[in-house]
Amino acid sequence: MKYMIMMFGVTGAAAQDRSPEWIAGMHELMMKLDTELKESGECLASEALADPGQAKTVRFVGGTPVPTDGPFAEIKESLVGYWVVEADEERVLQIASRVVGYTECPMEVRRIMDHSVQP
Amino acid sequence: MTSGDRTEDLLRELAPQVLGTLARRHGQFDACEDAVQEALLAAALQWPAGGVPERPRAWLLTVAGRALTDEWRTDSARRRRETAAALDPAGLASAAGHRDAGAGEDDTLTLLFLCCHPALSPPSQLALTLRAVGGLSTAEIAAAFLAPEATIARRISRAKQSIRQAGARFELPGEPERTERLGVVLHVLYLLFNEGYTASSGPSLLRADLTAEAIRLTRLLHRLLPGQGEAAGLLALMLLTDARRAARARADGQAVPLAEQDRDLWDAAVIAEGQAILAATLGTGPVGPYQLQAAIAALHDEAPTAEETDWPQILALYDILAAVAPGPAVTLSRAVAIAMVHGPRAGLALLGTLDADARMAHTHRLEAVRAHLLEQAGDTAAARACYLRAARMTASLPEQRYLTLRAARLR
Repeated sequence: MKYMIMMFGVTGAAAQDRSPEWIAGMHELMMKLDTELKESGECLASEALADPGQAKTVRFVGGTPVPTDGPFAEIKESLVGYWVVEADEERVLQIASRVVGYTECPMEVRRIMDHSVQP
Repeated sequence: MTSGDRTEDLLRELAPQVLGTLARRHGQFDACEDAVQEALLAAALQWPAGGVPERPRAWLLTVAGRALTDEWRTDSARRRRETAAALDPAGLASAAGHRDAGAGEDDTLTLLFLCCHPALSPPSQLALTLRAVGGLSTAEIAAAFLAPEATIARRISRAKQSIRQAGARFELPGEPERTERLGVVLHVLYLLFNEGYTASSGPSLLRADLTAEAIRLTRLLHRLLPGQGEAAGLLALMLLTDARRAARARADGQAVPLAEQDRDLWDAAVIAEGQAILAATLGTGPVGPYQLQAAIAALHDEAPTAEETDWPQILALYDILAAVAPGPAVTLSRAVAIAMVHGPRAGLALLGTLDADARMAHTHRLEAVRAHLLEQAGDTAAARACYLRAARMTASLPEQRYLTLRAARLR
């Protein structure tokens, strides 16, 4: 089974009021986890996204698509990165819990649809 | 070194020569390029076990020539692969002649100019140069750029199509176009080097390969055009920069600024080679931007400690660079040199002239440099705001981490 683990608003501007030690600890956790998941072969893809402050949102306004500056959600609730992993739900929740245990920010876990025809 | 490594080195050296000969004989660069890739693949599979043939270049030419003939007979990729696999290397070595041996290096140059055709986008120029001149497989290029193999395959095939549509022929362009195109070739090699060098995180071993490949190709270009000062300058710049590689990042991938690097980790032999190339070049012709940047890199490399860096001399070189090749990136570096010579406030004043520059609007570099200078000037609050602004603007993860940490220290 494939899952996407999504992380919200704990980097960049959202981390600005944390101590240098906290920030360094988070960087360490992120890199350690990323390396572990890649070495175990569970990680299919992982990316960090640039700061949501750089985002644009395209909305359908007055019958036409209109791009505007800024993210769709509030900065604190914006997607900042994701992992796509091949694992069962229990393991995926374990991975997410490890991050949430440090950052105290919520993470979302979503099953990825497959292309096989179910009997 | 294993026999596999030796085969790989030999194949990369021979690849452009074989392709050049084939393209000169038959035209049809794109079909020839496919045929040479097949021959390289066959050699990579057969040589390590069966031994390198007595005349490897002739072997490759024969196999590629057959693949090309076969390509013309039928479009079937399946049949093409079968033919290549069924070839008997022992019987082929003497089949092809040595007539073209002397033309190999000129062909390589022609090939380099063709792959850097101005009709191609820079990513296409890079990919095609690596494959046709560098002899890398599509899979190796994909690994180096961290891109899916199918993406690189399509990029290369589109690049070859664009060359055909542009009506480009397999011949060295005449003057003045040749000089202009040399500029593009140098720029492509420079981009290739940076692509490998700036990747300080992720699977950096693969990316380091890209840096080595850029140096190898620039070395080749310098050998083919020894009188071109900028080709020499670019090679010197790459060597003088790459010499610091081991000191550039901590084990955790965190970037280390030049001033904080452990200079004992710098490669003295590579620095000496860069200095020698530069010394043999400066003063032999008009001085260009690559030579100037190499001279600046050499001054950094020569300083035993960061404090002993000859900043007045570096500033003098940036003044010339700003006159020869003005641009916002040069202004930015010059501001740092001014700050080192005349104090942070003088550097900040020059940075102010970039605020209205649209070319700076989408890069974090201006804010990052301003933050450093403000910190040096003792304006902690403004420095912290600039670090955070830069952290929000960068698309580089290691840079973002560095800038966020820097801001947090000023809290």
